[in-house]
Amino acid sequence: MVRRILTLGGHDFTSRPPDRAVCEFLLRLATERGGERPRICILPTASGDTSDLIQSFYGAFGDRPCEPSDVSLFRLGRRPMALRDHLLAQDLIYVGGGSMVNLLAVWEAHDIASILSLAWRQGIVLAGQSAGAMCWFEAGITKSSGKPLEAAGLGLLHGSLCVHYNNEPERRAAYLEAVDDGMPPGYGLDDYAGLLWEGEDTPSAVTARRGARAYRVTKGDEGAMESPLPARFLPAPAPAALREDIAEFRRIKTMRRRAGWLG
Amino acid sequence: MESGNPLLDDYVLGLCKAERPRVCFLPQASGDADHYIVRFYRAFAATRCEASHISLFRREQGPDDIRRHLLSQDLIYVGGGSVVSLLGVWKAHGIDAILREAWEAGVILCGLSAGSLCWFAEAVTGFHGAPKRLEGLGLLPFSNCVHYDPKSDRREAYHRFLREGMCPGYAAEDGAALHFVGEELSRVVASRPEARGYRLDVSGQRVMEMRIATTYLGERGVVPEAALPEALSTALPAG
Repeated sequence: MVRRILTLGGHDFTSRPPDRAVCEFLLRLATERGGERPRICILPTASGDTSDLIQSFYGAFGDRPCEPSDVSLFRLGRRPMALRDHLLAQDLIYVGGGSMVNLLAVWEAHDIASILSLAWRQGIVLAGQSAGAMCWFEAGITKSSGKPLEAAGLGLLHGSLCVHYNNEPERRAAYLEAVDDGMPPGYGLDDYAGLLWEGEDTPSAVTARRGARAYRVTKGDEGAMESPLPARFLPAPAPAALREDIAEFRRIKTMRRRAGWLG
Repeated sequence: MESGNPLLDDYVLGLCKAERPRVCFLPQASGDADHYIVRFYRAFAATRCEASHISLFRREQGPDDIRRHLLSQDLIYVGGGSVVSLLGVWKAHGIDAILREAWEAGVILCGLSAGSLCWFAEAVTGFHGAPKRLEGLGLLPFSNCVHYDPKSDRREAYHRFLREGMCPGYAAEDGAALHFVGEELSRVVASRPEARGYRLDVSGQRVMEMRIATTYLGERGVVPEAALPEALSTALPAG
């Protein structure tokens, strides 16, 4: 069983090309496990289950070949569900961004961590951006309390991660300082850069935007050192509207061909 | 923050000594839901108090020094939602200790649903699935059950938990509020004429449920001087 985790430095669910590229890659990973209509579930806990995030997730995946769903721990009262059964029936579990400290605290209160760890061992792809990426590591750099600080994660992956790397210079600076002070070293991810983990060893880097990079951060004799990793570029698929146009065009072409209009 | 019924909001603001009380809303049980924060500012309008809120999911908003902010309030209002998530987030941010400090310093603590359960030693939560037993902050050394309804499965579960060793406590129907001074119940007030509070005790396998005289806040001149038991009913274990 391949244990896969995709950790992303930062992205949205808009229709802009790099966001579409990220969603396409998520869909591909889900499809590799689940076949034609994989099940993709978002855990928006870190945001406090905001409807904005949930809606944009459905906006991105609603018309794609998959079955999207959401587990909103703050809405369970109105919409009860069997958490464990639902999560373990997924092909990909996506964790949204927000407060890493709250994410882990709420998960602990609801005993979600053990379910996610089991899901991972069963080959369900785990993914996420920002807090939803750092949570899988031993530690991350969170701004949950305002200024960037070290916070503990679930520890499925060794080492640490810092997200929004060159997008938030103060976060990067705090990370380099923390690594120098003895925080387990790890990785830095710009927005739209990601690391695909297959097992716990060396991840492969991907990027959905030119210039967005993944970095290996280690501790050397002269403090923390960063080295950029070679990354595979993720192309953006045609936007949804265009896909519909193409489909319509093809339908018309087929009809015409059948009718003998087009040789 | 009952919709269209300001009686309990008026009552709790009336407990504050300040002319323009400082009121802070903690909406963590709802995941700091925007619509709930808007409702709070509507209920606690700027014309009668100085309202603020603390969002622990969006720290770019709100005060930098949470402890100082909370300790400077006259009233802290905790919103409803998931009490399990609420307590988890508070613990992670050290809010539990700050609230105890605020309570000891005389800040009035208040809340509905999950925002009521959280103050007690033990509580019955029915937020998700079958009612469950959980530990609260323990400022009040009792148990608590909200949305109490003679027909609800919460009531049945509460009685069962009491027989299984949960500490005695208090229940409130929707619209009823339990007002404690120190660790003592001072009175029960209500925003609906029929809403009541209850005291629950257990002796062996026998649960005693006592209705507490409840002051309806909607009529003037009927405020009793002290809360007296109005009726006594005894619930026996089922079967």
